Amino acid sequence: MSITTAESAIAFAREIAPAERTSHRPPPLELEVVDLFDRLRVRLLRYVLGFGLPVQDAEEIVQEVFLSLFQHLQQGKSRENLTGWIFRVAHNLALKRRTFLSSALNPDGGGLAQEADVYVDPAPNPEDQLASHQTQRRLLAVFGALPEQDRRCLALRAEGLRYREIGQILGISLGAVSLSLSRSLRRLTHAAER
Amino acid sequence: MDFDDAHISDEELLLAIDGELPDDEAAEVDTHVTACAACRARREEIEGAIAVYQRIHRRNLNVRIPSAAGPRALLQARLAEMPRLYEVPRRPPHRPGLPPLWLQVAAVALIAALATVAAGRWAASHRTRVGRQDAGAFSVPNASLTPGATILASRSEVCSGSNPNNRAVPASLQRKVFEEYGIPGAKAVAYEVDYLITPALGGADDIHNLWPQSYSQTVWNARVKDALEDRLHELVCEGRLDLATAQRDISVNWIAAYKKYFQTDRPLETANP
Repeated sequence: MSITTAESAIAFAREIAPAERTSHRPPPLELEVVDLFDRLRVRLLRYVLGFGLPVQDAEEIVQEVFLSLFQHLQQGKSRENLTGWIFRVAHNLALKRRTFLSSALNPDGGGLAQEADVYVDPAPNPEDQLASHQTQRRLLAVFGALPEQDRRCLALRAEGLRYREIGQILGISLGAVSLSLSRSLRRLTHAAER
Repeated sequence: MDFDDAHISDEELLLAIDGELPDDEAAEVDTHVTACAACRARREEIEGAIAVYQRIHRRNLNVRIPSAAGPRALLQARLAEMPRLYEVPRRPPHRPGLPPLWLQVAAVALIAALATVAAGRWAASHRTRVGRQDAGAFSVPNASLTPGATILASRSEVCSGSNPNNRAVPASLQRKVFEEYGIPGAKAVAYEVDYLITPALGGADDIHNLWPQSYSQTVWNARVKDALEDRLHELVCEGRLDLATAQRDISVNWIAAYKKYFQTDRPLETANP
């Protein structure tokens, strides 16, 4: 008998879900957390994968984020800008996990994927490849060479966060965010123009 | 393209795009950009660069993201298992004005009555608080304190038998675990500071993989978990279960994993002598 991770996750969910869950609706707080999970999971996973973490670790971090959110809300803590709060927790957990994995895989810190390598070519058709491959490679090379904080700012912006939220997530000022992004965008536009 | 002082800086353009400039500065930038073709072009260039990067970022990472069905079901199950601290009522929409006087009087009387009852119960329960924790609070770990941690180990390494089920946890680390769980003065005889993912399954010597598990005063105690660890180790080493699944199942909810792998709703007799 070989049990895959996905199968076991679903089987596990069915098993520990007691019978009353089918006859009673889950409490509103659970529904709220699951609703936020549905809306933000993909964005969060993309952001966490950007740290060079394996998919399984990224998925586990996202789970942990929403369990923490449940506790946060259950304790009656602030509901202001929950999206920013969620990304901030994910950011901190991803950093922690990356540090742990880097030291576990390779004491020299070279065991995880590099930032530019986390992007997988989704194999577009040949015409698309011809048209965009070179530009994309140049942009990714520039992105990979950016300082860590600049990469995080860009990635958060790409996930639709406002500059003010990005500053709160990374613990930097609004001015530092705009400075970081303008620096990155200058390099990216130069790369695209070449 | 670098802009001199006569033009709007990239930082200002970015802040203006996001509506983060004060009103007077925003109006100034708007007036300048309307009249300045170079600044308009630069703004479009910036917005274009963000859009291109966003497209690459999303398209190239989306292909790595698995279906949401399994993770969603897992989250729902974990939420159902989370301890309920207390119900926090959602704040009702604000309505101006005070309620009628009779309602205010009734509310004050009710609060006073509840406070009296609560004070009596608190006094009765306070003396036995530690005992009540023993009775079940730590049958499962707090997921935020003890999410589980593993070392990088293959199945063959795990099955070589070099890692015992539970290595001794140093006393200093035990004390840290007790402190994290809010029981700094706990006695080691009352709890086993247990590995959530046992070293025999690749669990790490890490505080995130340790929690104080009650030894004998709960149904789901440390001995029951030991039986589960043996069972999972056996399944992994017989090639009937992959190591990652075993690690995940025991770390997500070891009681549910016990029920699953022993096909029972309660601990077997042999696990609870």
